[in-house]
Amino acid sequence: MFKIFYNDHKDRLFGYLLRKSGNYHLAADIMQESFTRYLERYNEREHNPALLFTIGRNLLLDHIRQTRSNISYEDEEHGQAVDQEHIYQVHEEARRVLSALQQMNDEERDILSLLVSSGLSYREIAEITGNSEANIKVKIHRSRIKLKKILKENRR
Amino acid sequence: MKDYFISMFIDNELDLDEKINFVEGVHKDKGFKDQTVELLEQEKQLQSDVAISAPELPMPFKRRSKPNFLKLWLPSFAGFATACILLTGFFLFRSVPVENNEELHRFVIYQPGVNHAEIIGNFTGWTPVAMEKIGDSGYWSISIDLPEGEHHYSYLLENGQQIADPTVLTRERDDFGGENSIIRITASI
Repeated sequence: MFKIFYNDHKDRLFGYLLRKSGNYHLAADIMQESFTRYLERYNEREHNPALLFTIGRNLLLDHIRQTRSNISYEDEEHGQAVDQEHIYQVHEEARRVLSALQQMNDEERDILSLLVSSGLSYREIAEITGNSEANIKVKIHRSRIKLKKILKENRR
Repeated sequence: MKDYFISMFIDNELDLDEKINFVEGVHKDKGFKDQTVELLEQEKQLQSDVAISAPELPMPFKRRSKPNFLKLWLPSFAGFATACILLTGFFLFRSVPVENNEELHRFVIYQPGVNHAEIIGNFTGWTPVAMEKIGDSGYWSISIDLPEGEHHYSYLLENGQQIADPTVLTRERDDFGGENSIIRITASI
């Protein structure tokens, strides 16, 4: 049933979108839109979390592309860094990690956010991000090491 | 030693040979062990799931799909047909106002804590219109015929609170410090 799938996956998808974008409002909006689009494409077979995350990822990428060349959501109160207005809703430790994630490059942040949030396998993550399976494990690990370095620098 | 085994270990992606290799690595190489422990600690922070939970939003529903006949025609004689239609349309109807292509659009919002919810938008002349409560589900809904084009709206709750539609990405700030959602209705032909 869709309701169960929604409840099981909304925190995960939201976690991914928040980690990837650093923007609470945007993550919430795209989460809802992703489920709606997912519903349109999914036809009564088994639920497919990889499809849901692919839709969410594409919607966020579209949004980023649009706002880079256009008037932006980020301009006013929606800062590109972790957004201040809703920051209190996020635990302090996670907030530190969220800011560190925003300092990584797009691909590293994408891969790591997907890995941590989605519960998907390396193979699925490789497919979603257009990497080979052999490549993804190295990239995942490099991203973790990079995050460690950033966290360490931020602590100083 | 393959460094990325640490990540594969954290993510339960190692096969049996790799596991043997990994355990031996941890045992023999102190640097490798230390890095493993550090990354495991970091993973705990990264995965602090209690911290990240999605806001309570209405459960999405399937949008009404619109049959797109144009799409079916396109592969065969698109250019010719479109030209004919456009030309005929131009000559026949240019002095007659085009019929309004209205679409019934359903607005839904999840607000379990209120006794009253209204919608306000350009299509209501910016006059609040009451929404209907859907049983005890906490959802409020209203269906409105919308002409083609861009529409701006928001929801009003009983305490005077104005909120934008959480399911719609595009928003604008209004002159009163609130936010309106923007949707675009296209004709289904």
